[in-house]
Amino acid sequence: MTNNKILEVKNLSTHFKTDEGIVKAVQNVSFDLAKGETLGVVGESGSGKSVTNLSVMRLIPSPPGKIMNGEVIFDGEDLLKVSDKRMQQIRGDEISMIFQDPMTSLNPFLRISTQMMEPFILHQKLKKKEALEQSIEMLKLVGIPMPEKRVHDYPHQFSGGMRQRVMIAMALSCKPQILIADEPTTALDVTIQAQILELVKALSAKLNTATILITHDLGVVAGVCENVVVMYAGQIVEKATNTDLFKDPKHPYTKGLLNSIPRLDTKTEDRLFSIKGQPPNLINVPDCCPFFPRCDFAMEICKQKNPATTQLGNRREVNCWLYEENKEVNLG
Amino acid sequence: MTKFIIRRFLGIFPTLFIIVSISFFLIRAAPGGPFDTEKAIPAEVLVNIEAKFHMDEPLVVQYGRYMYDILRGDLGPSFRYPDHDVNYFIANSFPISIQLGTISIVLALILGISTGIISALRQNTWIDYSTMGIAIIGISIPTFVVGPILMYFLAMKLHWLPTSGWITGRHGYVTLIMPVITLSLPFYAYFARISRASIIEVLRSDYIRTARAKGLSGPVIIIKHVLKGAMLPVVSFLGPALAGILTGSVVIEKIFRIPGLGKFFVQSAFNRDYTIIMGTVIVYAVMLVVLNFIVDIVYSFLDPRIAYK
Amino acid sequence: MTAAIENQNKNEFDQAVKGSSLNKDAWRRLKKNKMAIIGLYIVIIYAFIAVAAPILPIYSYKKIILDHQHLPPTFTKTAGELMYEKVKTRMLIIAKKRGRTELNEREQKKLEGLRHKIKTEVKTIDGEIVKLHERIYYLGTDYHGRDMLARIIYGGQISIAIGLIGAIVALIIGITVGAIAGYVGGAVDNFIMRFVDIMYSLPYLLLVIIFMAMFGQNILNLFFAIALVSWLTVARIVRGQIISLKNSEFVEAARSIGASNRRIIFKHMVPNTIGIIIIFGSLEIPAFIMYEAFLSFLGLGISAPYASWGSLVGDAVEGMADFSWRLFFPAIIMTIFLFSMNFLGDGLRDAFDPQSKNKL
Repeated sequence: MTNNKILEVKNLSTHFKTDEGIVKAVQNVSFDLAKGETLGVVGESGSGKSVTNLSVMRLIPSPPGKIMNGEVIFDGEDLLKVSDKRMQQIRGDEISMIFQDPMTSLNPFLRISTQMMEPFILHQKLKKKEALEQSIEMLKLVGIPMPEKRVHDYPHQFSGGMRQRVMIAMALSCKPQILIADEPTTALDVTIQAQILELVKALSAKLNTATILITHDLGVVAGVCENVVVMYAGQIVEKATNTDLFKDPKHPYTKGLLNSIPRLDTKTEDRLFSIKGQPPNLINVPDCCPFFPRCDFAMEICKQKNPATTQLGNRREVNCWLYEENKEVNLG
Repeated sequence: MTKFIIRRFLGIFPTLFIIVSISFFLIRAAPGGPFDTEKAIPAEVLVNIEAKFHMDEPLVVQYGRYMYDILRGDLGPSFRYPDHDVNYFIANSFPISIQLGTISIVLALILGISTGIISALRQNTWIDYSTMGIAIIGISIPTFVVGPILMYFLAMKLHWLPTSGWITGRHGYVTLIMPVITLSLPFYAYFARISRASIIEVLRSDYIRTARAKGLSGPVIIIKHVLKGAMLPVVSFLGPALAGILTGSVVIEKIFRIPGLGKFFVQSAFNRDYTIIMGTVIVYAVMLVVLNFIVDIVYSFLDPRIAYK
Repeated sequence: MTAAIENQNKNEFDQAVKGSSLNKDAWRRLKKNKMAIIGLYIVIIYAFIAVAAPILPIYSYKKIILDHQHLPPTFTKTAGELMYEKVKTRMLIIAKKRGRTELNEREQKKLEGLRHKIKTEVKTIDGEIVKLHERIYYLGTDYHGRDMLARIIYGGQISIAIGLIGAIVALIIGITVGAIAGYVGGAVDNFIMRFVDIMYSLPYLLLVIIFMAMFGQNILNLFFAIALVSWLTVARIVRGQIISLKNSEFVEAARSIGASNRRIIFKHMVPNTIGIIIIFGSLEIPAFIMYEAFLSFLGLGISAPYASWGSLVGDAVEGMADFSWRLFFPAIIMTIFLFSMNFLGDGLRDAFDPQSKNKL
């Protein structure tokens, strides 16, 4: 309703062709992003969270992947329909993405300076000298010590945490409107994790960049994100604000996820909780709720039809037959 | 970086030392001296010859003598042709082999890499299939089959090209065509396959994904980001390729009757002309070792992780 | 869809759940690769012929029959007919030179004598009585009148045997050295790798040539000389594999539950290395055949009366213009085999490690 939305994803579907069949990695995903908002996308491996965002950036390798369906409205344009050239203008300049493994995400054969100067030269048309100065500034901003010297180093001369900082610096160089961070801390030590998340939070606040934070770690979400989207088996199962999600999860899967987090006050004799069963194979998924075999509340209809989206008001949505008529449900 | 270069450079010498020593002992250990194949030689002459070549002295002394001579660049007299020494023979034939080898490897590199790049970018199209098809042919058919077949069709049947001879002869540069094609074919094939595979692999790597995410366009990504890393396996293979060119030239020289060092070497092996054999091995070895050194240095320029560790 | 269909191969969604081992997976992938399967069939055919050579209905490969020298290949004409034609043509040419278009009496009588000889001459070969001139040489004969077909088949026997045995020896040496270097590590590893490096930089084929020339040309020396240098690559690869496996998590896991070193090596590491070993084996065989052919071509490998594909081609180069069949048939037969082995090797590599299609 507010024209505060900077990104609107509607009915996005992405499939991959493999030897064993077509993998429906993302099915009918819709979500919005407001200016300056921090959105968390949570799910286990294979839930489709990365593929969704790579689809937004149109970085899906085209055989074997294909975006089958949907719209991605950014700043009035449908990104799925613009030309390649336009997409290249947008990437790195208006929407940036950083990836999980900083060890492999930087080109080991080029100096940091070369790599950092690229967005400046390409998108802002700066000369080399200015680009270098700006790069050094960005390194300062992300907390790299002695940036004037280190900018000429090679990636292998940095530690993992520092490399991720460099990635962040590179991504934010052109002050993009959206930053997509795909599991930025998964490959890092826990202590570094906290620093990186703080950095992302601070910078996006400072530059008013909307951030999509993809992660499987609910702890990360709790600390950083205003709103959360929960994905399972290529579909969105729940959307909520941060507080609502943790206080009052609606979808049985979300509830299971929260229960799986080990707590400091668990008694040592108790077993750790985990959701029984396995996620489904995404080839030839029948029309049903993908979570039903693992769901303690499964009903007959769950096995037969994929749940429709139920709006629960106050920016809450859930895809579950339990809520079909806006009933009150107690998940215990 | 300089430390790295110096270290590598110093590493050459032990290798050369070992090679020279191995040649020395191997040949001394072989049955059949250089003179016992043909006519019986009168005893006194034999004694003189053995003295001239110092064969009556203890082995260690011979070894020392030999090392000293080598260092001075003197490869000694020929056992078979008493009028000339080894340096003479080598000086006359080596440059020819170098010409043949250099042209072949340069051709193989240029064609191989460019073909590999094109194939990688146009994967699974007819261009890809045809170039890789030629590559498999190049690897599977031995050089000594390709050579005669080319010679048969192009020279003997169609008379387009002369059957033998070298540049300095009647026909000039045309004589180069068949030997060079034959010698470079398998290496072209390897370079093409390696380049293609390497580029495809680099294209799938994370840092190329990052480059795309930054909005860089296709051609820029290839030239700036892909090539440097992708060429590493090609450079790696350059070492064995140079050795392969060297051994391959032996066969080529036989087929096309080119008066190069390889042909000479095989002959000397049959003749058991010790000094020439050793001299040739040393020349080849020095060349290989130096070239490998250069390749190492080039590699370290491409891959900063090697030298900067 | 009733709940919990406890069909052991289906999960709750009615989706088939197949477990499959790494090797079964690889075999399945291999079967899909048409070129590799064709290659496999061809290799099997060759192997069969090579093994069955002594019982195949072919002529002797080593009996020298000078009368049958350099007969061209033919499907229909007997040796006798060809000999007759050859002599007659030559006679006519000589007659023409002397101004005649017909053969005189002396010449005709010679032809008669020849025809008689062709009809009646009989020789004992390998204990059998053979009507020599009724033979049909499908692939022609060589300088000594020996049957090219037989020589190619027996040559194939030798070439393939050398390829196989050489590859096996190289694999055994290479795997042992590589595994020791990789597993033990430390100074032993360093020493072995220095040694390998130095051997790599030697112009080893040249040393092999020297070796063969000096120590004589027999099959044993050939093996020894070639095997001496070809285990290097295998050793390097195996060492690399072992090192990466040594540090892998499943080995740590095995160790943490108390598995002994021997168990770790044999139950965990070896199966993981088998893929690489098979691939290299299949690539080493054509490499060995090439090495041997190379040496034989130069005259340093197989010597008479035996033949290998390489020596056959080597012998044929001289007379190539006039007796092209001596060159082409062995060359084609050999090339087809090498092609097939290369496709098979490529296919195996693809099957065991699909990512490697895009590597070397």
